[in-house]
Amino acid sequence: MSTVDGHQRGPLRVATDIGGTFTDLVYLDTSDGSIGLAKASTTPPEFERGVVDALNKAQIDATSDVVSFAHGSTVVINALTERKGSVTALITTAGFRDILEITRANRPDLFNLRFAKPEPFVERALRFEVRERLSYTGEVLTPLDEADVERAAKAAAAAGAEAIAICFLHSYANPEHERRCAEVVRRVLPGVSVSMSHEISMEWREYERTSTTVLNAYVQRVAARYLDRLAAELETRGIDRQRYVMQSSGGTTSFEHAKERPITLVESGPVAGIMGAAIIGQAIGRQDVIALDIGGTTAKTSLIEQGKVKVTTDYRIGWEPANPGYPVKVPVVDIVEIGAGGGSIAWLDEALGLHVGPRSAGAKPGPACYPEGGAEPTVTDANLIAGRIDPEYFLGGEIAVSLERARTAMSTIADPLGVSLDEAALGVIRVANASMVNAIKLVSVRRGHDPRDFDLVAFGGGGSMHAAALAAELRIERVIIPPAPGLFSAWGMLMTEERGDWLRTSVMQIDALRPGDLDAIWHDLERSADDHFDGQTDHDPSLILTRSADMRYKGQEHTVKVPVAAGPMGAEELADVESRFAELHERHYTFRLDAPVEFVNFHLTALRPLGASRDLPRQQRDGDVGEALRGKRMVHFDQQGWNEAAIYERARLPTGQTVDGPAVVEEASASTLVFPGQRFSVDEWSNVVIEL
Amino acid sequence: MPTSASPADANLQRLDPFSLEIVSEGLIAISDEMFVTTQRTSQSTIIYEVLDFAVGLTDAEGGLITQGNGVTLFLGTLGPGVRASLDRFGLEGIAEGDILLTNDPYGGGGTHLSDVTVLMPIFYDGELVSFAINKAHWTEVGGKDPGSVSTNTTEIYQEGLQFPVVKLYDAGVPNVAVFDVIAANVRVPTMSIGDLHAQLASVRLAARRFQELAEKYGIAFVQASIARMRARSVELTQRELERLPAGVYEVEDWVDADEHGGPYRICVKVTISADAFVCDFTGTHGQLLTPMNCTRTALKSAVQLIFKSLTGPELPLNEGVFDRLEVICPDRTMFTAERPAPVSTYWEVLVRISDLVWKALAEAVPARTTAGHFLSLCCDLISGNHPDSDELFILFEPNAGGWGAGQGKDGERALVSIGDGETYMIPVEVAEQKYGVVVEQYRLNTTSAGAGKWRGGEGIVKDYRITAEAVTVTGIIGRHEFPAWGAAGGQDGSPNEMHFIYADGRPPEVTGMISGVTLHRGDIVRVVTGSGGGWGEPLERDPALVAGDVRNEFITVDDADAIYGVDVDPQTFAVQALSERRSTPVTRDEGNRS
Repeated sequence: MSTVDGHQRGPLRVATDIGGTFTDLVYLDTSDGSIGLAKASTTPPEFERGVVDALNKAQIDATSDVVSFAHGSTVVINALTERKGSVTALITTAGFRDILEITRANRPDLFNLRFAKPEPFVERALRFEVRERLSYTGEVLTPLDEADVERAAKAAAAAGAEAIAICFLHSYANPEHERRCAEVVRRVLPGVSVSMSHEISMEWREYERTSTTVLNAYVQRVAARYLDRLAAELETRGIDRQRYVMQSSGGTTSFEHAKERPITLVESGPVAGIMGAAIIGQAIGRQDVIALDIGGTTAKTSLIEQGKVKVTTDYRIGWEPANPGYPVKVPVVDIVEIGAGGGSIAWLDEALGLHVGPRSAGAKPGPACYPEGGAEPTVTDANLIAGRIDPEYFLGGEIAVSLERARTAMSTIADPLGVSLDEAALGVIRVANASMVNAIKLVSVRRGHDPRDFDLVAFGGGGSMHAAALAAELRIERVIIPPAPGLFSAWGMLMTEERGDWLRTSVMQIDALRPGDLDAIWHDLERSADDHFDGQTDHDPSLILTRSADMRYKGQEHTVKVPVAAGPMGAEELADVESRFAELHERHYTFRLDAPVEFVNFHLTALRPLGASRDLPRQQRDGDVGEALRGKRMVHFDQQGWNEAAIYERARLPTGQTVDGPAVVEEASASTLVFPGQRFSVDEWSNVVIEL
Repeated sequence: MPTSASPADANLQRLDPFSLEIVSEGLIAISDEMFVTTQRTSQSTIIYEVLDFAVGLTDAEGGLITQGNGVTLFLGTLGPGVRASLDRFGLEGIAEGDILLTNDPYGGGGTHLSDVTVLMPIFYDGELVSFAINKAHWTEVGGKDPGSVSTNTTEIYQEGLQFPVVKLYDAGVPNVAVFDVIAANVRVPTMSIGDLHAQLASVRLAARRFQELAEKYGIAFVQASIARMRARSVELTQRELERLPAGVYEVEDWVDADEHGGPYRICVKVTISADAFVCDFTGTHGQLLTPMNCTRTALKSAVQLIFKSLTGPELPLNEGVFDRLEVICPDRTMFTAERPAPVSTYWEVLVRISDLVWKALAEAVPARTTAGHFLSLCCDLISGNHPDSDELFILFEPNAGGWGAGQGKDGERALVSIGDGETYMIPVEVAEQKYGVVVEQYRLNTTSAGAGKWRGGEGIVKDYRITAEAVTVTGIIGRHEFPAWGAAGGQDGSPNEMHFIYADGRPPEVTGMISGVTLHRGDIVRVVTGSGGGWGEPLERDPALVAGDVRNEFITVDDADAIYGVDVDPQTFAVQALSERRSTPVTRDEGNRS
């Protein structure tokens, strides 16, 4: 027990999330379910300092009893985008040295004659070929030439390689050659870090798998050093067990596993908020929710159905409509991200068309209203002009914003268009909202879901400000704003489970299956999970194994992910899976086909709860709404114009009492906007719930 | 809440620029959604990997509102389908629930028979307001060769099934006869009918989305947004046009010889003024007895493609973009072929047209261009029975090649042609599972070609060893005799080739265009694509870059010395000395550009 501000703290569960500007910390006191928050500046390149600062601010030290520590970090994505990883060499099948540079050769910027492909992470001189070859069934066509491997390893080292990636054709069907190649490399070059493709991804498509393996090798050393430094810092505070890192899959993993497969951390931070939204939804009995995270530079959204977050392996780093990016075939929560956040800059093109983003004023110089802010107007400036943000209470009063500066910046939009500043500000908000609506449609309508069947869980610094308007546009009936929405990602991290994924390509037509074919594959995957969790899959009752399969009609390319029940798969189970596939295919693609069905990928997920109760504590706050009223302010509500809105202090609002809009609910990290005609209340879990 | 204007008060709603913007984005989102739907529901690689299809919306007269493309080839080819439909049935002959089909290259199709256009009229309040269109390359439309693409047809009748404009659905009722005729005339009916279903899903979805938009904002407001989108495009393009250097630019080039004769001359005279961009192709060779022809629709498409590249690659695509463009060409040339000229490889001609205009303007507009690239889509078509399943497979794919260098930029390596776009090469691992082949090598084609201050990028070499008992192979590989052009003193690139390497020891053959060659198990089909052209004098290339080229084995130590005048140490790759030739000023032929 430690005492902070006279309050006795029990065992703590701590989560820290490194963002672009701030490092957030949230802790849960397991003795009474209370939550604590702290925020420190992010400190690149020694990110662990920000974590230490946040721990200090939260007064977590050697006297605290920290029972678990979860961490989300941008260290991997930063190393990639800033090209600060290790010099990496690639060893590959003879005849295929250039796969990494040929890529898939697509040219998404259709009319740009000067289009440039992304630069490969391994230049040609560091790409080595060795004689070996497998067929697509995994049969050995040419045995591995170990002398070639030895030569390649020595040449790589001579050329300065610090990390070696190994990727052979069809290694997903038979990893033996990659294993033997790695043994030889380790013997010749002890101490160099080695990444084998089959340990990172067992999916087919050689360019994508090679890319993933190379990126893993490239960041391995940076990630390992960072995690080691962080671990050392944590140890001085007695945090020496149950340390986890957030993976892109939405689950955590141990520091040790993360050091082997650091590429799984690539979207470490952003997914935690999505997981948090799923958890909130489950706790309050809303299984179908759309999560929306509006930050400074982007908005991210993801759809959660039946409490389940969707995970895919189609992620690409640096992807944009005109940029193919770099494929990373590891499980990543299916998020659509668009360049519209609070700091996004509004601008006019030559024909006076208004656009918002993707350029952002970021944290520096920041929106025009900031003390050192830029000259261009941003979405935040527009919200300020529209009265939606209280200039006196921005980030709880931490930043003194200037309405005057915001108005001056906005005049660069208003004047050329010949409209008032109010109209320009509202225009900027509406254009930003329209792109967010389109993003939400991408994850819902376009994938066969009706947004009206979902609740919107909004968070991030700007989520609560825009959510009610977006919900109205999409005809969503309920918006949920969790407490401290600005630190929600860290909270989500606190609540997540340890996770591992095993995915393997094996194309099998259902009507050609022999008994036991599938059971053998599942058994193999389960053995991999077992090794990962130190042989605990059999006797750890808390470990949850879930199967799914990517399936398709023969002849088609795109697959549908179909849940598969545990246990042996006989004729009956197969028929079940096949009919579920047909159902899901129709939902996604509008039709069924009378064609044979194939399995393509087999996917096993293992989850181990880390002791955070998903049964969130309820709280009843009595009192009168009037006690929370801070005053009134004129706020522009788009087509409903300027209205006098009641301003409430969130922490003082009583539970369960319905309040009519127009209103603004304020707290240190965010403001929630409630339109005229909408109502809101605070529920037992302290969420603000807006009913439309 | 925010916007709930009914159609009746749409005119009363302020035509504020922000709502117009949002409706425009909504229209663009419709074509995006059509695009994804088609890609995800199609069954053939030519659609889901090569993305050889386009979707879009036009107004009731066929004027383009928005278009979604996977490749560049279909620019300007959606509107003609609408106009052909209106010509055939008249406004009064088109009813709600109709769905029309056409592939007539000389009429509403505009490309070749393989590209089948599906059109759905969209009605709102009983009035025809728009068309949703999906034009996609079917793997099979029948004809004399598997895959419906040949290099040696002499008449269109050999190239497959023709749909003038027919009603596939008549007021919502399917015309079963049309489905039956398709099924009876194509080699892989499940695939072709499957693709047709993917197309149908996308146009139906577009109709629903358009109606939702009209419901919400009022049809008059939506139409005002469309008008504004176009007006803006006219204005933005006009500004770009004013930035192009006015003048007259003339250039000629040659198309490879065939069994009937050749090589064939093609040429253009581009006249740029402040308010017009005129391309005159007079002097181009007459239509051929091979399918190296395209129709006038494809000619316009080719010019639109390069015009857009030169004036605003990033601007949205609608009818307004091409307001200032004028195309002149006599009838019955290779670029304006008429029935019954064969056109199945029309795309090879289309890209030659874009390339001509590009070549004419490369040095005049260096900020938007590069030297010439490998250009031909370099398609290979291999069909046979899979050795494991004994089922018919048709492997039909374009290939990546080398792009030209530009001012301040080396050429891209292994990138799809200007005629392709968001086109994905088939992975080796997928190809080996799906088709009766083993890929023996897939690497960059390193040659000394394309030398320059900035080097042209490398093409590829890909070897398919045949594992099926026997296969039929077609190569549609242009620029076999006349490689990519260098610019500003840079050297030409290298040619595109198809090689047949026989297991029985016969001497290998090297060719460009070829149809219906039979190969057997163990033989190799090799596709070689060329390097792009160089930009600037090779002797002016930065020696450090030359050393890097040697270290990465793009060029040899000897090339570095002979072409670039740089002596590179073969062990350390350090620059040891520079040739005296590098200090001598070079005079160069400015060409015939005036």
